[in-house]
Amino acid sequence: MQTQSNLLAHSSMFSAVQQTSSGSSGKKKLIYDQDHRGPLSTDTVATLMLLQAGNIDLLGICTVTCDMWAKQETAYALRLLEIMGRPEVPVHMGAQEPLLNTKAEAQMRYQMFGSRTLGNEGYLGCFAKDGGSRDEVTPLPPPYGRFAQIKAQPEPAADFIIRTIRAHPNEVTVYCGGPMTNLALAAMLAPDIVPITREVIFMGGSMHRSTSSVNVYFDAEAAKIGFRAGWPKLTLVTADLAEEVHMQDDGKVDYIVNHAHAPIADLFRNFEQKPQRANPQRRSFRMPDEMMAAHVIDPTVFSGFDEMYIDIVTHNDGHYGDTSFWDGNWNDIGKGTDLAGQNNPSIKAGRVQLLKGIDKNRFRELFIDLMTRPINVSKI
Amino acid sequence: MTATRREFIRTVGAAIASSQIPPQSAPIDASSAATAALAKPTVAAPLSDGRRKVIYDQDNYGPFGTDILGTLMMLQADNIDLLGITLVTGDDWMKQEMAFTLRLLEMMHRTDVPVYPGAEFPMLNTKEEWRLRQQLYGGHRLDPWMGAFHRTSGGPDDVKPLPAPYGRFANIKPQTDHAARFIIKTVRENPGQVTIYAGGPLTNLALAIALAPDIVPLVPEVVFMGTGFHVFTNAFNVFFDPEAARKVLRAPWPKFTIVTVDLSEEIHEGDELTAGRKMIEEIAARAQSPIADLFQKYAVEPLRQDPNQRLFRMADEMIAAQIIDPSVFTKSAQMYVDICSTPGPRYGDSMFWPQNWQDLPDAGKAPVSPEDRRVFVDSGQFYLGPPPAAGLVNVLLEVNHDRFKKLFVDLMTKPVHQA
Repeated sequence: MQTQSNLLAHSSMFSAVQQTSSGSSGKKKLIYDQDHRGPLSTDTVATLMLLQAGNIDLLGICTVTCDMWAKQETAYALRLLEIMGRPEVPVHMGAQEPLLNTKAEAQMRYQMFGSRTLGNEGYLGCFAKDGGSRDEVTPLPPPYGRFAQIKAQPEPAADFIIRTIRAHPNEVTVYCGGPMTNLALAAMLAPDIVPITREVIFMGGSMHRSTSSVNVYFDAEAAKIGFRAGWPKLTLVTADLAEEVHMQDDGKVDYIVNHAHAPIADLFRNFEQKPQRANPQRRSFRMPDEMMAAHVIDPTVFSGFDEMYIDIVTHNDGHYGDTSFWDGNWNDIGKGTDLAGQNNPSIKAGRVQLLKGIDKNRFRELFIDLMTRPINVSKI
Repeated sequence: MTATRREFIRTVGAAIASSQIPPQSAPIDASSAATAALAKPTVAAPLSDGRRKVIYDQDNYGPFGTDILGTLMMLQADNIDLLGITLVTGDDWMKQEMAFTLRLLEMMHRTDVPVYPGAEFPMLNTKEEWRLRQQLYGGHRLDPWMGAFHRTSGGPDDVKPLPAPYGRFANIKPQTDHAARFIIKTVRENPGQVTIYAGGPLTNLALAIALAPDIVPLVPEVVFMGTGFHVFTNAFNVFFDPEAARKVLRAPWPKFTIVTVDLSEEIHEGDELTAGRKMIEEIAARAQSPIADLFQKYAVEPLRQDPNQRLFRMADEMIAAQIIDPSVFTKSAQMYVDICSTPGPRYGDSMFWPQNWQDLPDAGKAPVSPEDRRVFVDSGQFYLGPPPAAGLVNVLLEVNHDRFKKLFVDLMTKPVHQA
């Protein structure tokens, strides 16, 4: 078994050889950018969905610090690919820190202004007091068992995103399940990729539950850059939508434990079923990243979307990372009255599509089908 | 063959759009290399041939000004190994700066120096929001310069023809690599050896360290012009891209040297070298072409038409002096610095704290009495230190005027360097 120290000292997580993605026909080309929290979380479950879906060409997995530090996430992502029999998917480690936000400031803002209200929106990811440090990589529990033999690519996530989108103009969807740090860096380094990206799908922002969510307030500057960039299509799963379905609802967990193949069954047994049985009061997490994956795999699970404008507050105070929304048709509101034209968005607001109308039965069917079908092992 | 304006724009645009990512020899997390470099002394070690390796990051505003003069000084100095020029939007849009820079290198016979296109926009700041902030909170009375965001400056792709003595667009082309990637690659290949001259907004440097934080301990010194104490606290290179400045100034560089507005305000281009003889007259009379032509047309003649002006302060020239001959500066202090990036009236302000704030409640102006120390520090009632993430920088506080002027005039009037 590899030890933590030699994993870091020799940078053995990183290989020198560039892998190429396997060819595909008619599949949706996807870059999967994620704050990949292990051993099992909404991040990891979405990864499983995309690995299991037959219609996705997974060009690469990028990691970014938020739920965990990027090195720890990268260790989980690499080993997950091994135990899922998909070692050919390249992993690119991304930003290890937000553009500007720091742990010390995040903690002090909470002391001074209070945490974000409602539910667990006070969550700070790895900036929590016991969130560990940037270079600390702890061992992986079963069924991971050990660190991966496969290595991360030497190319940073932002460079991988730029290179891949340029190689496949108008074909690549970017799934952004963590803070937008990697995507913002890519858009700043290479603004030419913005108009040739097919779609960006992001999880974050909230209109009702709270004024923000962790993927935004962990790196508010990156979110502001990412939302304002002008992507041809920017789709949003808000915390409000994600809250509609939780993992434990409708007996999904027991069904998957009983019907899925290893290692998916083991993951759900160890990290959902056991904690649930030990603590029946436990409310499992909502399913934000699973909804993003569902939108990528089968967009008809959602009945439609609301066109909105969005912008982000970057003031270094209690509003850091707040999300502002305006109606996409603001100019029509109050038309013909003296209220017309007064609901304008901010001068640089970005345009987004907020997914809505989840068909819960179809979402459940899709999810269970993906988790319980035979493991989609690579053919190479 | 003379390049036309349209050809130039097409060439630069194509170079930027086709910017290829080079294969990287170093892993993203070069922690072992970083540790090895940290163990060495972090003072910029001159090469065996006595020259200092420099990356020159600049918002090169033409035809003439503090940016161009900083460039000329670096080109003329014998002890500088100029590894590359990286450009960033600031005083002008990046593509226009590129046009001036490439042609200047041709005129100076230094086409061996590669030029890299950098950030065309600040990280978050926008022209429209800047104007609205000025209207909402009031304008910058002491330094109304808006650079590329000025009302009359056009757009990022608007490249205007170059006036004499530039005369036409250059035949040489920019590199295809992005400035930030060039910085990363060069620093990793020369650990502990590459000094970075930062004469514009810090956007390129912020992108470089966001992509590759491992390069920070490998840079022996960054020299930056920006921030201020007294004249004004929000200097152009900071308030054009406050987020980038905040990120870069907070990084743990072995040595980050700052030329403040206050220091650069001490010497202006129109000042006298000796009684009755101005620096610019001396240079226009004694320098070779094209330096003499530039000074005659853009300094001597404007001053003749309006003798009351003092011309611009020598901001970037002081960065060049710190790299070429740091003994020109006779006093400096380690201080903590941080930048306000809240987009309000103080967007881009710089704040300083003395390094030894625990010993000096009044910022070092007078010795501290035991009673003051008890009240201000030991009691814990008063916190006088920096915020948690503030950077520790080396602030230049005193310049020897005669030696600085002599260095500047000597560099401008010596024979034009041949590659």
